[in-house]
Amino acid sequence: MNQFDCTDNSCMKEAGIEGFSEKKSEGSNFEFPEETSYWIFQKHKGFQGLFNRIGVFLFILFVLMALFPSVFAPYAPEERFIPYEAPSEEHLLGTNDIGNDILSELAFGARISMTVGFMAALISTLIGTALGLCAGYFRGALDELLMGFTDVVLVIPKIPLIIVMGAFLRPSIWILISILGLLSWESTARVTRSKTLQLRGAGYVKSAQCMGFSSYHIMKSDIFPNIIHILFPKFMLATASAMISEASLSFLGLGDLSMKSWGMMLSFAFSQGGFIRDMWWWYMPPGICITLCVLSIALIGFGLEAKEGEHFKEGANTL
Amino acid sequence: MSEIARKVTRYFTSLVLIIIINFILPRLMPGDPVKNLIGEDAYVSEEVMEELRAELGLNLPFSEQFISYTSNLLHFDLGYSYHLHAPVAEILLNKMSWTLIFVGVSVVIGTLLGCFLGALAGWKPERKASHFTSFTFVVLSCIPPYFLALLTLYIFSFKLGLFPSKGFYDTPEIGSVLHHLFLPVCVMSVFSASRNFLVMRGSVIQEKEQLYALYARAKGLYNTDILFRHIIKNASLPIITLLALDFGFLFSGALFIEIIFSLNGMGVMIYNAIMGKDYPLLQGAFLVIAFTALLANMFADLLYILIDPRVRGGSMDESV
Repeated sequence: MNQFDCTDNSCMKEAGIEGFSEKKSEGSNFEFPEETSYWIFQKHKGFQGLFNRIGVFLFILFVLMALFPSVFAPYAPEERFIPYEAPSEEHLLGTNDIGNDILSELAFGARISMTVGFMAALISTLIGTALGLCAGYFRGALDELLMGFTDVVLVIPKIPLIIVMGAFLRPSIWILISILGLLSWESTARVTRSKTLQLRGAGYVKSAQCMGFSSYHIMKSDIFPNIIHILFPKFMLATASAMISEASLSFLGLGDLSMKSWGMMLSFAFSQGGFIRDMWWWYMPPGICITLCVLSIALIGFGLEAKEGEHFKEGANTL
Repeated sequence: MSEIARKVTRYFTSLVLIIIINFILPRLMPGDPVKNLIGEDAYVSEEVMEELRAELGLNLPFSEQFISYTSNLLHFDLGYSYHLHAPVAEILLNKMSWTLIFVGVSVVIGTLLGCFLGALAGWKPERKASHFTSFTFVVLSCIPPYFLALLTLYIFSFKLGLFPSKGFYDTPEIGSVLHHLFLPVCVMSVFSASRNFLVMRGSVIQEKEQLYALYARAKGLYNTDILFRHIIKNASLPIITLLALDFGFLFSGALFIEIIFSLNGMGVMIYNAIMGKDYPLLQGAFLVIAFTALLANMFADLLYILIDPRVRGGSMDESV
């Protein structure tokens, strides 16, 4: 059904769609693609399904932790006890250098770490989508300009730049979010652009153009709904990488001192002697939490991406 | 030809953008620009500050400042660190060589490892071993590099006492250096491999559907021969792009690993510069890293032209 199946897919996509949309309507074995599902649960068998279930379970756990930290935390995060205590029945994970209960800190840190991740990913996805849509839809000089700009930004190493900016600006969670968000939109922009390039040749976009709808309207109601399913996994993966970046920057002491994220806890554990005193209950839990949380988000993202791959094979985007 | 012109324009724009960012940051940030330029905690008297203000030309208009700034850069003058009492370029040159050795060796090992395992996992994705490696590398790519370093340092150096926990060497001999660098290089290789693995796997999965793979099969080649003689060449093309684009990320990962293992390279230097608010040093480090990343990307483009005839012919779609 796809005469370009055997050739290099990504190379030919653009050319393939042009002649394709007309042919499709005559095709005898046409089947409507299944409805796209945004549901994070995937009905996979075997390993993939298992990974996906692990991911979803962990993700729900961490979201609950972020939403209702007081359920998980036995004490308020600022409450002080005897410092440097080993785990006991009162303090399941012991206390840190200024006597805060580590389990409570961990529960309250979830919200901050996840906020940074999701907000930064939201900003980057919005910018990336807008730029990619415009570049792919209008093509020509605008495309050249926007993609040139994307290439230019892509080359600049992000973390060193954030380190320099973070050192100058007073570290605050909002600055961290905006820097992370403003510097990581390129891959979303590229994917959106290549998808838009395919879609703009589709029959329904052409008919909308003939009927005189504005470019904005076409982008909004014809193209955008068809790229949402690739944006969602991108968004999840962007969240995962933003959380890692946040943890790394907090580790360097560039995080928000008033809001203790997991990266911040790790940083304190390393710099305030938790590591040298062999207090594994101090530095291990935040590290494990970051890893598991990022892993769960990434697993969901990969699951959605695999789903999108299947969707592609089913013929969802052959229009 | 136009493709080359386009690339050159883009790289040049990136370079200018990097320089502009570096120029503007200390001058636009809140606070006294002199303080911003020399670092916050550096102790200098009022007269010296005034002298510096005149010397740096902070009273002049921005355009003139920019011109003198770029001419300084062209003379490899990156400023003066008032904390370490040395020119920034000298300090950087000193630290950079160790870091580059460390990064270079680990990235080569990591790329080979990631490509090899990724190719195997992509070749037979339904096998148990492929699932296992895929899952392992997904998990590894989700661990912040410094936490991975912290864990290995804890297990192998503190608990098992197999490796020294800090520094490049006790005595400057090759054996001692190798012993000290073994753990960091391992962590860094795994970190770099985890970035390549998934790309390689996906690339092999895509390539093995192609006709030439089928032809090789029809010709009677054995399984792994098809993979290693035909597919791997084509499948490793995206890795080159990835390596170049990832350079900044890998490099910063290396900085964190250096901090954990107290390797006295750029990582520790940047960490101290942040702690001491030594802005000139930070800026110089950023400039040098950004410039290296730029070079890496240019190198990757050249490499592409060398090994991929499609690019030379100019028939390659740039969306790839």
